[in-house]
Amino acid sequence: MSFISKLRSEKFVITAEISPPKGTDTSRMLRDAELLKGIADAVNVTDNQRAVMRMSPIAACSILQRKGFETIMHITCRDRNRLALQSELIGASALGIRNVLVMSGDHPSKGDHEGAKPVYDLDSVQLLGMIQELNRGVDLSGNKLDGGTDFYMGAVTNTELNEAGLLKLKKKIKIASFLQTQAVFDIKRFSEFIEKKSEIELKQSKQIKIIAGIIPLRSERSALFLNKVPGIRVPDDMIKQIKDAKYPEVEGMRITSDIIKELRTLCDGVHIMPVGNHEHTKKLLEMAGLI
Amino acid sequence: MIISRQKEFNDILQLLSEKNIFIIGCGKCAKKQRVGGEPEVLDMEKKLEASGKNITGWAVLSSACSIASWNDVLSQNPGINKSDALLVMSCGGGVSVISGFAGLQVYPALDTESLGGVCCNEIVTEQCGMCGDCTIWLYGGICPVIRCSKSLLNGPCGGAIEGKCEVDERLCAWDKIFERLKKLGKLENIENIHEPKDHMKKTRVKKT
Repeated sequence: MSFISKLRSEKFVITAEISPPKGTDTSRMLRDAELLKGIADAVNVTDNQRAVMRMSPIAACSILQRKGFETIMHITCRDRNRLALQSELIGASALGIRNVLVMSGDHPSKGDHEGAKPVYDLDSVQLLGMIQELNRGVDLSGNKLDGGTDFYMGAVTNTELNEAGLLKLKKKIKIASFLQTQAVFDIKRFSEFIEKKSEIELKQSKQIKIIAGIIPLRSERSALFLNKVPGIRVPDDMIKQIKDAKYPEVEGMRITSDIIKELRTLCDGVHIMPVGNHEHTKKLLEMAGLI
Repeated sequence: MIISRQKEFNDILQLLSEKNIFIIGCGKCAKKQRVGGEPEVLDMEKKLEASGKNITGWAVLSSACSIASWNDVLSQNPGINKSDALLVMSCGGGVSVISGFAGLQVYPALDTESLGGVCCNEIVTEQCGMCGDCTIWLYGGICPVIRCSKSLLNGPCGGAIEGKCEVDERLCAWDKIFERLKKLGKLENIENIHEPKDHMKKTRVKKT
């Protein structure tokens, strides 16, 4: 069953993040993907994440799709103007990529090519709008396409948003079909986010699917590091549990699987984005009772 | 006001392969920012002489980017004709205008950064993104093209931590835009989706 039909049929979906290689050797990426075979409904393929240059997601998605994986191609506004974005999307569609996840993209100054020109010709809301046009069979200038796209569109969001952030979320909900959140650790705050989302849905008379981000905790150090990432907050008591545990990695798996169990009734799926590879993903999902 | 900063002296020295140098300052923006007025020009003269250059003279023009007659400048500054190169302590606008007249090598001593202003004796930078398609009123007078490090027109990116931009120490421009519009009672300005900028207006390319 495809990612879209699974989400539409109210089944709880599992997606997982895969990084394209930094270079032409795809073996490590494929090994990581193999760990997800039969587990993930789709794999997300990142677009120069953290502004670190890697293989293009369109190429990585295409390689993964040939191996039988359904992909969700990330596309950021950082590196391409409106011409490049559209040609990339049309190419992706022709290669059989059905799902895209849209985001602004980390600023070049945060990555490994600090002096690169930040493009941001469109922002994420405008990019979603542009994809909507491509899906209707016209480009951003209104020219008719010889074959339109048929993308299922996702956007990203933090779960703790100030008023300005909420304003943008409303615009994303107007266009996108699903939202993937930043990593969730605090269920109470996540529930508050879901309430806000439901209010927006009611006002817009539109439903949107929510896939909650999951980063498995591994150590006190990794938890403290995550707290410096925008939009992530690991609660103090969780950090203490990891710190006091005899086997922090095992405790991290337990905490994370508990989070996933609680999320099952709150949203439509989870997105696993481990630091490092997917060697523990299967076990984690088993512990959470998802597979 | 055009915001500029002085290049590192060693970088300027690297540029100057010529021996006989005339220095030109600017009496407008560069003077106000203390990067190209008389004291800075004199300081530059001293440093260049100490580095073995022959300074043929100096002048602070009333405005380096607005020159009525280059002949007047030459007659008041005969040192220019004895020079191999000019070092201009103004924004890129001034360097460009003078380069058009001078007929000899012209070097910039400053790096031009942004369009700003002076408020209560304080220099404010990055006030206008010079996009050629001004919609600043929609954002409560805060230009998202330059104040947001990603020039986002529909809201913040989500990269800020405790109100600070992910790029540097600046505060998230979108928090300020939101607060300003809230105060003005004009939040409806940013509730609708704003379309991408028309960059034809910036490049001033006429459609035929």
